[in-house]
Amino acid sequence: MVKVTSKSKLNFFKRNQGLAITILVLSFLPFVVGLFEGASPAQVWLNQGGTSKFIEGLAIEIFILAIFALSYDLLFGITGLLSLGHSMFFATGAYLTGILLKNFQMSLGVTILWVLAAAVINAILFGLVLPRVKGITFALVTLGIASVFHILIMSRELGALTGADVGLQRVPTPAFISPATERLRFYFIALAILIFFFLVYKRFVSSPVGRVCVAIRENEDRALMLGYNTFVFKLAALILSSITASVAGVIHALYQPIVSPNTAGLVYTIMALLVVLIGGVGTLNGALIGAAVYRLLDFGLRRYLGEVAGFVNGTIYVLIVLFLPYGIVGTWRLKSLNIRQGWNRLLGYFQKSN
Amino acid sequence: MKNNLRKDLPRWLTLLALLVFFVVAARGMETKDWVITLLRGLSVGSVTFLVASGFSLIFGLLDVLNMAHGTVFMLGAYIAWTVYVRPDTFVDLLTPTLLLLSGFTLSTVWKRLVRILKQKGNWLVIVRWAGLAVGIAAMIYILPRYPITIWDVGNYSQSPVTYSYLADQGLINLPQGLPFEEISPMAAVIGLMAASLLTAFSLSTFNSRSQGATSLSWKDFIVYVILFGLGVAALIFNDSLTSFLDGLDTTWLFLIALSVGVMVGVLLGSVMESTLIRPLYSRPIYQLMLTLGLSAIGMEAVRAIWGRPEFVMPKPSLFAGVGDGCPATSLADLWTNHCSTIMLFDGRIRVYNEIFIPLVGIIVLVGIWILLQRSRLGMIIRAGVQDREMVEALGINVQRVFNTVFAMGVGLAVLGGGLAAPSMGLSNAMGETLILNALIALAIGGLTNFPGAALGSLLVGLLQQVIIKYGAIGIPIPFTEIVFKPTPPLVPASTVLLMVFVLLILPNGLLGRKE
Repeated sequence: MVKVTSKSKLNFFKRNQGLAITILVLSFLPFVVGLFEGASPAQVWLNQGGTSKFIEGLAIEIFILAIFALSYDLLFGITGLLSLGHSMFFATGAYLTGILLKNFQMSLGVTILWVLAAAVINAILFGLVLPRVKGITFALVTLGIASVFHILIMSRELGALTGADVGLQRVPTPAFISPATERLRFYFIALAILIFFFLVYKRFVSSPVGRVCVAIRENEDRALMLGYNTFVFKLAALILSSITASVAGVIHALYQPIVSPNTAGLVYTIMALLVVLIGGVGTLNGALIGAAVYRLLDFGLRRYLGEVAGFVNGTIYVLIVLFLPYGIVGTWRLKSLNIRQGWNRLLGYFQKSN
Repeated sequence: MKNNLRKDLPRWLTLLALLVFFVVAARGMETKDWVITLLRGLSVGSVTFLVASGFSLIFGLLDVLNMAHGTVFMLGAYIAWTVYVRPDTFVDLLTPTLLLLSGFTLSTVWKRLVRILKQKGNWLVIVRWAGLAVGIAAMIYILPRYPITIWDVGNYSQSPVTYSYLADQGLINLPQGLPFEEISPMAAVIGLMAASLLTAFSLSTFNSRSQGATSLSWKDFIVYVILFGLGVAALIFNDSLTSFLDGLDTTWLFLIALSVGVMVGVLLGSVMESTLIRPLYSRPIYQLMLTLGLSAIGMEAVRAIWGRPEFVMPKPSLFAGVGDGCPATSLADLWTNHCSTIMLFDGRIRVYNEIFIPLVGIIVLVGIWILLQRSRLGMIIRAGVQDREMVEALGINVQRVFNTVFAMGVGLAVLGGGLAAPSMGLSNAMGETLILNALIALAIGGLTNFPGAALGSLLVGLLQQVIIKYGAIGIPIPFTEIVFKPTPPLVPASTVLLMVFVLLILPNGLLGRKE
């Protein structure tokens, strides 16, 4: 019995080799960047390195986007629900955090509890229409619900709370994770949350519930025939997804100086959709890689091309759709066998010549 | 019969409820108010319908959710504006465009050439890439040196009202056409012709499946000669053509602008379908992403070319009269004085916005209806919406029908853009709001149902205008003193709520059938 557990423990690390390496690289990243600039790790530790602080900020944005994209991937890639109102989950987290911290002076812990409750309510709201509408109609109804939410946030009547079309400003972030003075801590907390959700999702997908979700994506009628109450499973996926997106929203509200009402708009949902499609639909690490690619591409193009960036960005997406049909991770998985074979052939060639 | 009625009960009840709602809403207003609201609703509905109908045809037949439809609508408005306000730029652009396009009309010749080259051995690959490189290099060399009178966007954005007023009076002084300086006209024409021929040939070699075309006849060259001739003629008669368009009555100029827009739209749709959408028929969700990407590209292109400021497009002279006898009180007055407004039930009604646009909308509706019900193409389209594979199995070239329908849908959206430009004005955001309206209209009416698209658009337009009107006059809440005035955010919210309610009662929309 003991032997079995040790074996599975070994397997766990072996299976998550890539993840472990990523965590290692990401934990050393700020310090390495600091070294390039001439700042010692101690200075970076005290948040004094300029470039490393900047890189941390960019990475935090990627982490937030990755958490958000993960939640969308669970809904769209794994359960097969095309929702166009996903940004509502995110915006609920962001706005509720801001409002509770700013207007009601609650502590962060209580705020997060409220956000979690709101996330569950949101998911149930979407769940209410689940049995009635399917496919593209579900997408439209969710779009409708989210647009009403978006309009509510934008409306002048709620302006005192939400800041109307300017956005929610000056959210008092607790001092111990303030992005201005304690950014390194913020960075590691965001990374930890991302890793936590990634592991939870991995576990979820390979759990019996997750398996049924995949079955629903493949063929809902068949899953129904097999005796599963598909509604319950879809609702479970919705709740998990909603909670994750709301947590991403919480981090967003704490990190960004302004929560713009765009976070509730269709643009944000489409961004998540693009990230998932770039990374590979239905692959969890695809969402992470897609988020990094999307954010870095956007950032780089804006920095070096200026106004034309949007144009180039759009072109790149069209090219990805045309030539990388399964996203980065999906294509990699398809080709990895070929790549391994080619690699072996190359090694064999060298061995022969030796 | 009884059974049918029972099955359709929710549908009839919903329709009845909507009717009652609008009748009650109309009862709360004065006569002139509800006439204006009705006409405005029809107007907004017509523009929405022009976009929604194309969208629904494309979705029904091709299963493609063309999210770029709103951008195409915006593009149509900007193209019409350019032709209308700046005919000189349009004439300057005519020559290079026609010359570059002409090479692509020779597809049969290229097929023949490819066959010959294939028999000769491996020449094809070399010729293909060399041709592409030389063709694109020639374009890159010639196009920036080709003189095109470019406008200063700031001029139009700083004082759009002044400009539109001047245009109404026909007082805009167009800048002098630029002379050929860095390149001689002869070299430009020959270079563009060569570039077009080489690129078209190289691109056609990529289409490996092309078959047929064993012999050539003079008919294959007709279109090419016509396009080429037109291009050269536009170059030779550049100045006179410009001054002719400049002196033309704005009504005719508006018609020319609309037809140029529709032609560009049809061409754009055809090219989009055959090069971008066609490879993705087996991957539906990627079409969504592709069209989203395309819409971003189109939006950025509009921003790069026309800039961010909002433009006003002057109304054509037929609908712009303000002199004696205006506002018109009778139809005869309207006809003789070309008034911009007409008095109806003591209310002032803008002729272009509230009468002309709905009229065009109704004409297009009837036209498409006849096309769908009475023509062979319409029969194929209707059959294809029901069962695409079966139509294919019956030996009909579905590919070509797809292309036609896509081109038609894009053309309709462009027409809508051109029509809406004088009433709505031009901005970078006009496409997004409209595609959302169109989507809501389609969801209400039934996604692939053509009458549904019309009904949905009408409902969306009417509801929005009713809410806007009540925002001005207010709703007295019974038994209290409070007067509730719907705020502007409620306008889009109301249509969205209507959509959600309709979809929850009837998941396939008001007129849609169960799949």
